[in-house]
Amino acid sequence: MAASQVDMEFAEAVTTSDEFNAWACLNCGICSAVCPLAIDLMPRKLFRYAILGLKDEVLEETDTIFQCLLCKLCEENCTSNVHIVENVRFLRSYIGDEVFGLDTGRGREEHHAAAHR
Amino acid sequence: MSERRIGVYICYCGGNISDYVDCERVRDEVAGEDGVVIAKTTMFACSDAAQQEIIDDINTRELDAIVVASCSPTLHLQTFRGVAERAGLNPYQYVQVNLREQCSWAHTDLPVLATDKAVGMTRAGIAKAWYTEPLEKTRIDTVPRALVVGAGITGLRAALALSDLGISAFVIEQEERVGGWVGGFGKMYPHDRIGNELIAQLVREIDARDNITVYTSAELVGKSGSIGDFSVTLAVAGERISLSVGAIIVATGFDVYQPAAGEHGYGSDRVLTLPEFKELLDDSEGPLEHHGRLVRSITYIYCVGDRCEDNGHTYCSRYCCNAVMHASLVAHERSPSVHQYHLYRDIRTYGKYETLFQQARQRGSVFIKFDASEPPRVDLDNGSCRVTVKDILTEGKELALDTDLVVLVTAMEPRDNRALNDVLKLPVGLDGFFLEIHPKLRPVETVIDGVFIAGTAQAPRNSAESVASALAATAKSAALLKKGYVELEPLIATVDPDLCIWCDECVSACLYGSIEKVRFQDKEVAEVNQAICKGSGACVPACPEGAIQLRGSTDQQIRAMIEALGSINV
Repeated sequence: MAASQVDMEFAEAVTTSDEFNAWACLNCGICSAVCPLAIDLMPRKLFRYAILGLKDEVLEETDTIFQCLLCKLCEENCTSNVHIVENVRFLRSYIGDEVFGLDTGRGREEHHAAAHR
Repeated sequence: MSERRIGVYICYCGGNISDYVDCERVRDEVAGEDGVVIAKTTMFACSDAAQQEIIDDINTRELDAIVVASCSPTLHLQTFRGVAERAGLNPYQYVQVNLREQCSWAHTDLPVLATDKAVGMTRAGIAKAWYTEPLEKTRIDTVPRALVVGAGITGLRAALALSDLGISAFVIEQEERVGGWVGGFGKMYPHDRIGNELIAQLVREIDARDNITVYTSAELVGKSGSIGDFSVTLAVAGERISLSVGAIIVATGFDVYQPAAGEHGYGSDRVLTLPEFKELLDDSEGPLEHHGRLVRSITYIYCVGDRCEDNGHTYCSRYCCNAVMHASLVAHERSPSVHQYHLYRDIRTYGKYETLFQQARQRGSVFIKFDASEPPRVDLDNGSCRVTVKDILTEGKELALDTDLVVLVTAMEPRDNRALNDVLKLPVGLDGFFLEIHPKLRPVETVIDGVFIAGTAQAPRNSAESVASALAATAKSAALLKKGYVELEPLIATVDPDLCIWCDECVSACLYGSIEKVRFQDKEVAEVNQAICKGSGACVPACPEGAIQLRGSTDQQIRAMIEALGSINV
C-alpha cells in the first residue's frame, strides 16, 4: 500500500478556523457508538483525516459527510467538548465550494461565522 | 569471663507472642541458664512501666547484660539500648531476640514446637549476651566545609545553599566556564525563563559570597579520610590543591545521546537533535529559518536513544516530552503558520506540564503515535526530506510527511565519570547513573557516608527537579556538618595484627574500601578504618588466618549461639 501523502495546505484549509477544535479529540469512539445512523467514520476518523491533511480520504467520504443528521448526539456525549456539528457543517461548506463549485458567495470565514449565528 | 549477671525478659507483645508461645515455660526453661540472675515475662516490654522495671532491675540486681525476647530489632533495638543507657549499662550489652517475627507469627499452628523454638532462641540470646563487652561509639569532629563537584545549575545552587547555612563551599568544574547545560539555554519550560540568565543570577550571588570558592578547569584527583573529615586533592589547570572538607556533593550532570550517522537521517542538515534545535531557536529571531530557508514544517521524532534495550538505556529521560512541547510552542510563536508533527511513543508531560501538551495541540501540533517496533523512516533525497510513519489512529495507515526539518528528541545519558569514580568509588546503577541508598527514604545519600549525589548525575530529571535534589543534598550535608561531630557505630571489624599476614583477601572482600595497609612491628598488616567500615562482616570469612572479628558478632558469640540453639530437642 502506498503511503498517504500528508497535504499540509489542505489540513490548514480545513482546520484553521477559530471553531475547529478537533485537536481536542482523544479518539475514544463515543461519537461512533452513539451515532443513530451508525456512521463508523463520523466524526472520529473524519477529523483525524482532516488534521492529517489526507485530502483524498476526506473527499472520498463526501456522501457520508452529507448523510449526517447533525443531531448532535455525538457532540452531547463528547468527553473532550469537540464542536462536532460545527466542524461537520464547516467541512460541508468547504466541499460545496471547493468540490461542487457552488460558490456560495461566502468566503470560508464568513461561511463559518454564519453557521454559528 | 568470670560470672555474668544477665536479666532476661520474655514479652507477650499483648498476645502477638503469648497466643502461640507459652512465655511462662520459656521463662522457666531459661531461668537456670549460666549467668541469668533474673527472668521475667511482661505484657509489653516496650511500655513505659516495663522499661522502668528493667531499669530498676539493672540497678538493684546489678545486671551487666540484658536480653529482651520480643519483636524485630528494627522496631525496638534502639528502644532497649536506650533503656540500658538510662540505667547506666553500656547499650551494646543489650541483646534482642526476635520471638515475634521469627517464631510466634511464623508458627501460629504449632504452639508447642513454637515454644521449644522460643526457648532455643532465647538461650542463644543469653549465650550471646554472655560474651558482650562494653563498646563505645567513635566520635569524629567534622569540618564545616563542603566540596561540590560540577558547576551546573545543580552544583551552583547547592553551593549557595551551603553558604546560606554558614558552610564554606568549594565548587569544581571540569569545563572552562560554569553553568553547564542550563548556562547554554535560552527560554526554558514551563515559564519561558532564560537559562543563561538564571545561571548569571546564581553566579552574581556566588561572587558576592566570601565563603564560596569556584575552580574551573578543575578535577577531583584524590580523596582520603572519611565522613566529616575528608582530605581531597584537586587538579586545577595543572596545579595541585589540597583541601579538607566534611562532605562532598556530586553534581556532574548528564550527556545527550548522540545519534549515529544515518540514524533517522542524522548527519543531514535537515535533521537536528533537540539540543541543536534549541540552539537554533535561541540564536535567532523572527520567523524560524534554517540555513537561510524559511521553516514551514517540523517533524519531531520522540524517544531517540532511550526506552530501548539495545544500548542499555531502558529508562525514560523524563525532561524531553516537556522540553519538546515547549520548543514547539516557541516555534509556533515565531512562525504561527508552521506545521508541526510529533511522532511519539507515549506522551509524558506529567504533573503541571500537562498544560504544555494541551497548548501544543491547541496551536495545531499534530500528534502521531508509532509503535517502537516500527519506528518512523527518514528518507533524504536531493534536498527533500520525507518521513514515513504508521498512524495508529487511522488503523495503521502509512503517512508520508514531506518536512523541512526533522528534530530527534534525544535522550539523556549518564556522563562518563570513570576517572572521577576511581576516586569516589560510588555505586553506579545498571543504567550508568549514580545510585542512591534508597529512592524514597534516602534519596541523596550514597553508601559512602558523607558523599551525596544530586541532579542528573543521579537520574534523568529536569532543572527544577535537579535544584530540589541539590537542596536536599545540601540539607543532608548541613545536618551532618552543623552538629560539629559524627558518632559512628562501634559494631565494626577489627584485625588482630599478630595473626594478620597481609594476604589482601579482606581488601577485595570489602565493598567500602575501609581496609588499609599499615606497619605493625616488623611486618605489614591490615587495619580497618573505623569511619568507613559498615560492619557488614564480608571480610571475616575471607580471612584465611581468622584474624578478623566483627564486634557484636564475634566468632565466640556466634559459636555460643549455635550451641545454645542445638540444646533443644525438636
